[in-house]
Amino acid sequence: MRIFFLIAFFLFCVPEARAEVLSSENEAWLSLVHYRPKSFGGYESTVDSETFFLSPEGKTNPQAELEATIALFNSGDDEKKCLFPARYKLLKSHDVDVGKYPKCKDYEEFYQDLHPAGVTLLFTNAYMNNPSSLFGHTLLRIDTGRKGTQLLAHGANYGAFTAGQENSVLFAVLGLTGGYYGGFTVKPYYDIINTYNNIENRDIWEFNLDFTPEELDFFVAHLWEIGHTQTRYYFFTQNCSYMLMETLDAVRPSLHLSDEFPVQTIPLDTIKAVVSRPGLIKSVNYRPSRQAKIIYRVSQMNDTQYDAFLEAVKHQNWSLEGLNDDEKADVLETAYQYIQYQYVAKDLELGDYRKRSFKALTTRNKIEVKEYFEELKEGKSPAEAHDSMRASVGFGVHNGDGFQEVSYRPAYNSLTDDSYGMLSGAEINFLNVSARHYDRRDNYVLQNFDLVGIKSLFPFNDMFFPFSYNIEAGIQREMNPQTEEEGYVFNLVVGGGVSHNITDNLLLYALVNNHLAYGGFVPHNQWAGLGFVGGIYGNWGKVRLLAEAEKVLATSHFADKMKYKIEAAYGLSRNTAIALNYTYHQNYGHDLDETMISLRQHF
Amino acid sequence: MKKIYLASLICGAMMLSSNAGAVDSTGCGLGSMAWRGQSGPVAQVLAVTTNGLFFTQTFGITFGTSGCDPNGRISGGTGRMTLAFLENNLEQYAMDAAAGHGETIETLAGILNMDSETLGAKSKQNFAFLFENENADAVDVTLRLFQVIEA
Repeated sequence: MRIFFLIAFFLFCVPEARAEVLSSENEAWLSLVHYRPKSFGGYESTVDSETFFLSPEGKTNPQAELEATIALFNSGDDEKKCLFPARYKLLKSHDVDVGKYPKCKDYEEFYQDLHPAGVTLLFTNAYMNNPSSLFGHTLLRIDTGRKGTQLLAHGANYGAFTAGQENSVLFAVLGLTGGYYGGFTVKPYYDIINTYNNIENRDIWEFNLDFTPEELDFFVAHLWEIGHTQTRYYFFTQNCSYMLMETLDAVRPSLHLSDEFPVQTIPLDTIKAVVSRPGLIKSVNYRPSRQAKIIYRVSQMNDTQYDAFLEAVKHQNWSLEGLNDDEKADVLETAYQYIQYQYVAKDLELGDYRKRSFKALTTRNKIEVKEYFEELKEGKSPAEAHDSMRASVGFGVHNGDGFQEVSYRPAYNSLTDDSYGMLSGAEINFLNVSARHYDRRDNYVLQNFDLVGIKSLFPFNDMFFPFSYNIEAGIQREMNPQTEEEGYVFNLVVGGGVSHNITDNLLLYALVNNHLAYGGFVPHNQWAGLGFVGGIYGNWGKVRLLAEAEKVLATSHFADKMKYKIEAAYGLSRNTAIALNYTYHQNYGHDLDETMISLRQHF
Repeated sequence: MKKIYLASLICGAMMLSSNAGAVDSTGCGLGSMAWRGQSGPVAQVLAVTTNGLFFTQTFGITFGTSGCDPNGRISGGTGRMTLAFLENNLEQYAMDAAAGHGETIETLAGILNMDSETLGAKSKQNFAFLFENENADAVDVTLRLFQVIEA
């Protein structure tokens, strides 16, 4: 019997314990060195720093790199070994003979400072004041095991080193063409909260990943490796979110997250990919922006509280007239938050800011009663938002001529799309293209090719005074009202104005648009104009409506016109909607009258 | 005709420039931006360590110039962590101290290895001492906080 067990032991356990010899085609090795398959065979690493590769051919040769790595751990110098703790762990776990890992002071300090206890994927929602943040942002957090709270955790952010050029044209050009290098930086989580929640007023979503202790260790080790490298940064493809996918794949290769983003990487899509992996998410937590917190607190005020609040923040009358003691604390704390908001929004000078903050707090400090207001804890998860790409098919009538239309838009969100989990009041359309077939003429035409369409309608009220704006650039097929011929025009529209809420779901807006148009079809090849827009935007969840009228004054009679348009959508699900578009252009008695009904599908 | 060209040019320029004034998000925390006094944190911190007020740690010479650690990490012992935390979270701590509870108090209680309710109560009781006037800076508050805790 004993011999039987012994035989069984040798038969089953010993070969198991020796494990497979690590091959350079091993998934774990490929993801750890960020190798991606090339279109015509072979591999190339995403990382561009030469120091990341131990073999001169390392960037494209996984086998040479593996041999060089094994050689390093057998006979190389300790300083270099200290740069690759994760490679060491991987080799060791595959029973490759790699000797003893040296004592690495810098890495040990890094590890101690992080005091790692877990990994969290962070998503911050869109920020309409910075072109590089329109799609939101993702970063990683190394949760801390320190006493206290996760404020003492660290964020690991992958970003482009842009040398403060974010607001220039150069930024757009270099950002799109890989002119910047990207890399990881580590910052305390409280700094990240300040940046996103408090300065930029963006919500943060925390997706807690379910990593084993070994995976956590491996993650920190790999972060150390990759933290010493740089990678060409491409705004749409190899961006902040994409590198996080490769980094998570390096920790758990079976995730195959980066495979899902061969072309474009939209932060929201990476969140959805991570959420879709079974057993990867442990919990989700929402950290609202300061502005969202203020709005939620104000919504809980009774009329007397709201009046006292406005008296304090607008007129510096801190008497809190008419309030019971247990109504005061909440008002004062909201006022304090609002003063912080005003300072960041540059509505307050430093001196006034300090005086008012101090006044609010000393008054609050004298009240013994606790707060009653609830904190904002629930949000609409971006993981449940509609998908980024959209295709639609529709049919309609264009001045009496029936037509069928197909369109495709790779990204991202229209005002009449379902806004659940998205930034409400913000429209970001990229590369929307439509083609039509007309019945009477029996021809196929490209109807429009829009490069970009951005609308930001944030209502002003007693407390917040955001600027609403509109940017459109693209090629459209237009009708010459004098001849009724059609042709292509490149249109650029930049406008600004204000919005105001009538109800929670309905807002009015007024914009002044600045038009520039160019095209061989246009008389004199070009025109410029000013457009005065009045519009209404309603969003009741399933039902969305955008209606606007615009009076255009232009340098060409071709473009001088009154334009009306209505866009309405009814959501059948988060990703599917029926839409109705109506357009009427009044000009010279040769009007344009068009109605279309379409089915929209996000995917 | 010319007027419309001109008007559209001016409008365009205005719209582009209005966007350029956005708050710089690369700074080292709001607290440091808004509340930092003119007293020069480095000199004070060095003075502090020689007074022996901080009981656990010495400060690195490079620390304290920007409000962030040079390597972007939270490190060091109680004194250094407390100061670094308050330099970056002073406005939130001021709020929580006035009320006697909150996230920054829980965090500081962790750093100081004490019970957060005790720290909350002490902060609230001594708010007027901790934040003597509207120009209180992180170094002042840190020093006073240690006095409050030891009392």
